[in-house]
Amino acid sequence: MKNTLFRTATALAVMIPTLFMAGQSQAEDLSAAEAFYDGNTINWIVPYSPGGGYDEYSRLIIPYFEKYTGARVRLQNNPGAGGMRGANDIYRAPKDGLTVGIVNGSALVTNQLADIEGAIYEFENYGFLGRMVADQRVLAISTTGEFDTIEEMLEAGSTFKIGATGLGGSTYVDALVAGELFNLDQDIIHGFDSSSVIRQAMLRRDIVGMWGSYGSAIQDVEDGMQKIVLQSGQERTDAIPDAPTVLELAERMQVGDEKMAVLRAWQGLNDVGRPVVTPPGIPADRLAFLQRAFEQAMNDPEMIEEAQSSGRDLTFANGERMAQIATDAAVMPESAEAFFVEAVAGGI
Amino acid sequence: MGILEGFVSGLFQAFSFDVFPYLLVGSLFGLIVGVIPGLSGHFAMAMAIPFLYTMEPNAGVAFILGAHATVAQGGGITAILFSTPGTGQNAATMLDGPPMRRQGLGGQAVGAALLACFMGATFGAVALAILLPVLQEASLLFGPPEIVILSFLALTFVAVLGKEDMARSLVAALLGLMLAMVGLDNVTNQARFTFDSFALIDGLPLVPVILGLFAVSEMFDLFIRGGSLSDSSDGKAMSMRETQRQIFSGMKITLQKWWLVMRCSSIGTLMGLVPGLGSAPAAFVAYGHAKQTSKDKASFGKGNIEGVIGAEAANDAVEGGALASTIAFGIPGSSSMAILLGGLFILGMETGPRMMISHLDIVFVMIFTIVIGNLIGTIFGMFLVNPLTRATFLRSSILVPVLICIVFTGAYVVHNAWFEMVIALVFGILGYVMKELSYSRAAMLIGLVLGYAIEKNLYLALQLDGPRFYLDPIPLTLVVITLVFLGWNIWTFIRDRKKEA
Repeated sequence: MKNTLFRTATALAVMIPTLFMAGQSQAEDLSAAEAFYDGNTINWIVPYSPGGGYDEYSRLIIPYFEKYTGARVRLQNNPGAGGMRGANDIYRAPKDGLTVGIVNGSALVTNQLADIEGAIYEFENYGFLGRMVADQRVLAISTTGEFDTIEEMLEAGSTFKIGATGLGGSTYVDALVAGELFNLDQDIIHGFDSSSVIRQAMLRRDIVGMWGSYGSAIQDVEDGMQKIVLQSGQERTDAIPDAPTVLELAERMQVGDEKMAVLRAWQGLNDVGRPVVTPPGIPADRLAFLQRAFEQAMNDPEMIEEAQSSGRDLTFANGERMAQIATDAAVMPESAEAFFVEAVAGGI
Repeated sequence: MGILEGFVSGLFQAFSFDVFPYLLVGSLFGLIVGVIPGLSGHFAMAMAIPFLYTMEPNAGVAFILGAHATVAQGGGITAILFSTPGTGQNAATMLDGPPMRRQGLGGQAVGAALLACFMGATFGAVALAILLPVLQEASLLFGPPEIVILSFLALTFVAVLGKEDMARSLVAALLGLMLAMVGLDNVTNQARFTFDSFALIDGLPLVPVILGLFAVSEMFDLFIRGGSLSDSSDGKAMSMRETQRQIFSGMKITLQKWWLVMRCSSIGTLMGLVPGLGSAPAAFVAYGHAKQTSKDKASFGKGNIEGVIGAEAANDAVEGGALASTIAFGIPGSSSMAILLGGLFILGMETGPRMMISHLDIVFVMIFTIVIGNLIGTIFGMFLVNPLTRATFLRSSILVPVLICIVFTGAYVVHNAWFEMVIALVFGILGYVMKELSYSRAAMLIGLVLGYAIEKNLYLALQLDGPRFYLDPIPLTLVVITLVFLGWNIWTFIRDRKKEA
């Protein structure tokens, strides 16, 4: 698409002053911001219902975020429109630094690329406190089904069924990416209400497998109900040594440059993960103070231990690094962008 | 851990000093949340989540599930006394509860509802305990093909609900089915009937719709009519002794109709097993069943206590069924169960098969929580009736503004969305018009809830099993039941018509 160059330019135009200001204010005294937050109330928006992964991550970090900001943090669940409502709510909140929220980064970026109706935000304009975790996407299949490995699936004699939630949602887009790369003989059954319902369908053997986050598959894997056969990321994680990465498989199969571009773009989107953001244009010293507090909270040993004991992965990136990741993710080669736009719109 | 061992351990834990106080507090909290219109079990559990961090697993489970267990009981009280469903699942109680109150039998209706809830919940919990050895198989019974046919079966109950005026009932039910299509189409990704509004993209949210149809419309009616909610007596509040007497007589009638309670509870438990249907349709189907099998069909809708008993027994029996897949696989059957899973996670509990193996005692703590929680709800619910009954004698010019405030706040808090207050208002107006022109609001609500389930699952069933998905054993059995039921209803409809002519 022609506007890639323009987008890069805009991003740089936004980035440079932001970094400059951040750098400058860091050197400055943050005591004004500290006094501002002390005893004040911060709204923490979760764009999903209570009980989900975003909610749990938020509830995990909030006590520590309170500790290092000195503010009271009030969690607010604003579900709707696949997380877009909450993302919009954060974007248009007052620019006083008293609203933050955790968002589904990759979905926001792809929705923006596809110009999905209702998205009022420009993703790279959010203020970034940092990232809690990057997306580790996995393809999990039923242990009682016909397949054991991804290789078997590649050589499947007949079409197999993969479950997905909404058309254009992440479970759907991931399946499309894998299908595009490896010419899988798959039928993506979308329209399941939630990933829980897909899990039930897998246990009923209505479908063979599903794409999802590693965090939500892990328990079923430990219970022997599911098996991970493919994973995202640069290299195999220690926890899943037996499943090849998509990258590995793509190199082995020599999928070609165009497909590799789609793959790299997908990895870039996964890197965005679950960032914690503020509305655009909050006072620089307050952003810097919140970034510092978030970093301290994420590095608090007690919090790390708590995350480990509850099986929650953490891949922290600080605010500055996160802004860079966000900008990078939105820039992709024309053909890859066309693929994702088409995928999110459900056109493939 | 064997089942017997788990049972005994669970029982002792539930009554131990470490657990029982939490169970008591949770149940009372749930009861109060239930009484407040619009606040549901979902909300009660979400509120309870932050407290779990410092609790032991057994206490935490009792606390959070207790808060969920009693919500329907509280909601029933509000439905009967204030013509306002305390939660969505109490909508069916609106059909016969308020007419009883108008006849001066409000206390009796509440007594019946409270005990029916307790009996229904106990039935569901016992069914869950009995199902434990085959829980995994049971919770995998209902996939998309089965849900489609079961929803059709539930939809045919409109015929029973609206027998007196079939044409109007069908119009209302079809309107409900059409309203179910609002929102993003999952198959084509097209926004339908959203008027380009982002707020309607997920479809019509159920709680504000129910509040509008059944609560806001009643407030309009009351305000226009004037008087008070209890317009039967001569404006004097019922004495405390009379209220107590009525409560106990209502409970006595419920005990006499134990067979009806059993049947409606089994309907509730079965529908609870079906993921995604929720308890509102279960209560309506049970209500339809109660009406169908009653000797005195004509008085339904005009204050028949059997209508209250059937609906309330079913909507608490749902819990046992809904817990099945949550416990067996960690797959939540409803949004409340999703929150419960989140809570278990915070408590450091493993869910799914490992829970069945290593934490069977906690499973039994859950089962006992449902039973004991509802018992607590019944006992404390009785104390709530008297002051609340007095409020029903207040002038409408005082009561209506207060209730309107509470109802609209309830519509707002579910998703923290202003727009849902607008939906409550729009459906309040629609509900009032429907009431005045005697179109069945219940039929419309059933159409709305089931239309959504039918469309989604029909598409999935077709994709998964092809165009002849209904020929598998379970769907086929359900098809036969549906056809027989529908045929019989049409036959009696024609017969009764001939008789009249």
